[in-house]
Amino acid sequence: MDDLDANLLRGTLDLLILKALSWGPRHGYAVVEWIGQATDTAFLIGEGTLYPALHRLERRGWITAEWGVSDNNRQAKYYRLARTGRARLQAGSSAWHRFVEVAGRALSTTAPVPS
Amino acid sequence: MAHFRLDLGPRRAERDVDAELAFHLDMRVQRLVERGMDPVAARAEALRQFGDWDGVRAELVAIDTQREKTVRRANYFAELRQDTSYAVRALSHNLGFALVVVLSLAVGIGANTTIFTLIDALLLRPLPVPAPDELVVIGDPGRTGGVSEGSLRTDLFSYPVYAELSRQPPLLRGLAATGRLRRLDLTDESPPDSATLGRSVLGSSAGSTGVDEADHPRGRLVSGNYFAVLGVPTLIGRPLTVEDDRVANGSPVTVISYNYWQRRFAGDHGVLGRTVTINRVPFTIVGVTPPGFTGEVVGRMTDLWLPLTMAPALSNRDWLTKPEVSWLLLLGRRAPGTTLAQVQAAYQPLVRRTLVASNPADDGAAERLAKEEIPVASGARGLSSLRALYAGPLATLMVAVGLVLLVVCANVANLLLARGAARAREVGVRMALGAGRVRLLRQLLTESLILGGLGGAVGLLLALWGSQALLKLAGGGQGAVPLDAGIDWRVLGFTLVVTGVTAVLFGLLPAVRTTSVEPGATLRAGGRGATGSRLGRPGGFGLGKVLVVLQVALSLTLLVGTGMLVRSTRALVSVDPGLARDRLLIVTVDAAPTGLEDERLAQLVRIQLERLRAIPGVAAATFSENGIFSGTESMTGVDVEGFTARSADDSTVNYDRVGPGYVEAIGARLVAGRDLTERDDARAPGVALVNTTMAAHYFPHGDAVGHRLTADSATYEIVGIVADTKDHQVRQEPSPRMYLPAYQTGPLPLQLNFELRAAGDPVQLVAAARRELTGANGQVVVLNNDPLATLMQQSISQDLLVARVATVFGLLALGLAALGLYGVMMYTTLRRTGEFGVRMALGADGARVRGMVLREAMTLVAGGTLVGVPLALAATRLLRSQLFGVETVDPPSLAVALGVLVVSAAVAGYLPAARAARVGPIEALRAE
Repeated sequence: MDDLDANLLRGTLDLLILKALSWGPRHGYAVVEWIGQATDTAFLIGEGTLYPALHRLERRGWITAEWGVSDNNRQAKYYRLARTGRARLQAGSSAWHRFVEVAGRALSTTAPVPS
Repeated sequence: MAHFRLDLGPRRAERDVDAELAFHLDMRVQRLVERGMDPVAARAEALRQFGDWDGVRAELVAIDTQREKTVRRANYFAELRQDTSYAVRALSHNLGFALVVVLSLAVGIGANTTIFTLIDALLLRPLPVPAPDELVVIGDPGRTGGVSEGSLRTDLFSYPVYAELSRQPPLLRGLAATGRLRRLDLTDESPPDSATLGRSVLGSSAGSTGVDEADHPRGRLVSGNYFAVLGVPTLIGRPLTVEDDRVANGSPVTVISYNYWQRRFAGDHGVLGRTVTINRVPFTIVGVTPPGFTGEVVGRMTDLWLPLTMAPALSNRDWLTKPEVSWLLLLGRRAPGTTLAQVQAAYQPLVRRTLVASNPADDGAAERLAKEEIPVASGARGLSSLRALYAGPLATLMVAVGLVLLVVCANVANLLLARGAARAREVGVRMALGAGRVRLLRQLLTESLILGGLGGAVGLLLALWGSQALLKLAGGGQGAVPLDAGIDWRVLGFTLVVTGVTAVLFGLLPAVRTTSVEPGATLRAGGRGATGSRLGRPGGFGLGKVLVVLQVALSLTLLVGTGMLVRSTRALVSVDPGLARDRLLIVTVDAAPTGLEDERLAQLVRIQLERLRAIPGVAAATFSENGIFSGTESMTGVDVEGFTARSADDSTVNYDRVGPGYVEAIGARLVAGRDLTERDDARAPGVALVNTTMAAHYFPHGDAVGHRLTADSATYEIVGIVADTKDHQVRQEPSPRMYLPAYQTGPLPLQLNFELRAAGDPVQLVAAARRELTGANGQVVVLNNDPLATLMQQSISQDLLVARVATVFGLLALGLAALGLYGVMMYTTLRRTGEFGVRMALGADGARVRGMVLREAMTLVAGGTLVGVPLALAATRLLRSQLFGVETVDPPSLAVALGVLVVSAAVAGYLPAARAARVGPIEALRAE
């Protein structure tokens, strides 16, 4: 992946995590699984990238964490979308759509714009 | 990533991260196994998929640690804000309580800050010059007012020695010299409205009021490089420069201080170039120093600086050429990269060599000086003669105010305890509702800190006033001691620390006690019962009583110390100096304005003496150069016939140049031989009187009279022995001293002290003495006229000061202790109203109940005494060096202190006792 894309990816990943939590609390493994499935593993995001991103979001206060019991009856750390996180997800999603739309249009132009 | 500060992070963050990652790994392994993978292989695969396990773990821990820190800080500030507003609310509901506490604390903290302000100004504060640490002082920095004629010295230096040393001082960027000036008379003769040459256009003549009035600025003679070495520029005009050092009497210019400029010239810019007359010599003002600079002498703010080379014009002593006139202290600035130790090592031998070379006539000098240490020390804190005098007294007072503050703390703690008891219900409710004990503690301590902070702030204001008042008191009626005692960051820091420590001291115990409530108990008992059960049980309210015992013990210590200091000053005041203490009047005159010299001056003095002796009520009159209890001393080396000096001390004696009939006039006792007479004049053979100590030292066989001695290359025959006297200090130990006829020892000095022995009260003679002295010549100026008893009192002014201030603090502590006792007894009495009522109903009479309460109060006092007496005995040992005529264990002081304490306690205890005896059955029932 190019350097150019590192920031883009970081922002995208944050949005994906927030999205993953938008249906309710999940533990880290579930978030990893969801992103894998939702993106058809197109991004190939490893746990080494995902967990720090989760913790950073928690530090920013966009998500909160608490210990709970998993389906298979084990202690697991559950992340929940905070109010600020939900707002962030909405703002981020629309910004992302606008960006893709504008960038896509620009990238698909065939002739230079006359100045 | 790996070097985040993992070790500092709390363990919890690591545990959480490990648990979270372990869960993740297990889930992944489980999923792989479900897909048919072998468990061992699955684990390896899961780890491989994860990637850099340790790195990620470290990163997560770092992120979490940081997050927790932020959260904690936010919580802390939120709680602090909450606590503060809660405390302010609680205090404002109880303004009377808050006021009493704040004022008590203000007095305690203010007293401490006052004394510390003086300690800071005198002992700690560096000179307000750039890089004061680079300054080095050569000579004894305490001898700022010293002049010595005679043998070479190591604590003061002559001008020739300075001139030689300053030519090329090694390791120093410059070596300046400063010397004392006697009393100055400054008059400003330029008419205020005439345009003086060089007056600046900004100058306004309206500001200079009282131009013709003579005043007495404090001056200092300094070398031309003085301002350059200190690094002090001028605010306006120019500083003195090395050009002013060229020719004797060649540079009549002066630089004045900002304070003096404001005080005397109202900040008029026109002073530059103005001519003022200082002791009959016209000087031109060339510069003004910046505000804040008050010279190198701490405790004597300098008003003006004159060039050293002007010294001869201001007195008839030979200041500049004679190597045996020592009067200068040297102040240098270390060159970059040199240390004080290097300077010391270099200057020890250099100064010694220069001294010896300066006076070839003094042949024993080399041997004598070889044994003497040349004082070379840091000059960062300037010079001061007050330091040695006041360091001990200030330390004593610091201990005293520390004790006062402890008493205040105990008192406030007691008040808080009582208040805590009243709040027990509130605290119980809050704890029942889930407030943590630590949280409540913090809240109560916040309250203490607010009280302490307010007390500290008011205390600081009190200290501003108090330090000035103390300086005035220390001046002993001659105006305040000119010490620049302001509040600086050191004083502020001290006050802050004292306030903080105080707040914790008085706040912690009551806070712990108040929050150690069982919530259930308070609520069940309906609030009142809880306080009652905890505080009213026998021996209950123990902490409050312990605090009272502590107060009694501390105030007893202070009272005993105060008593000893007071008794010591009594002894000092009534000491017998071996002189006519209550009969002598000493008048200091300056004959310089007459312009008379040598024989004509001697003639004037003879006439003055005759006229003084003719005053009715004068039994005898004489004169001397140094005077008695004037603080001015002369020393010289002597060579006694038939005596071989074993050490430098052996040949150094104090002496004074005195007039005829000296011994008889001052009321001393002649042990052998005769007094000096009119006939011992310049034409007669030299004669000398010696005191018994000197006679015994040089002539152990008692045959001093008739032997000869040589001093300053003149020979004198000993004609009489005088019993030892205390000439300058009450504490003075007898030391070898001689008296030489003033007429036989060179020209008479321009300033002389006349001693008059009165038949009655010497104060009655003042007017007549002044009249006759100026009647002989109208130009003569009378500088001082004081009875010896007054001068002696002034010489112990620091002892009087300490005794007075300690008395104030002692009584303050006593008052606080009595108040504490009263408070505690009143409190317990109120709590036991019911009990007393029942007792009375059952037939106990008022006297019996009263006795019960009084007995309890006296038990507390007895407890305090038991602790206080050993404490006092230990503490007063520290006073040893300051006591005079009082033993370290002083039964009278102890007895008086105990008596005062018991009486105060009886009064403080009687009021609650009387109240208890008045309890009626109805009231008692109502209390239940």
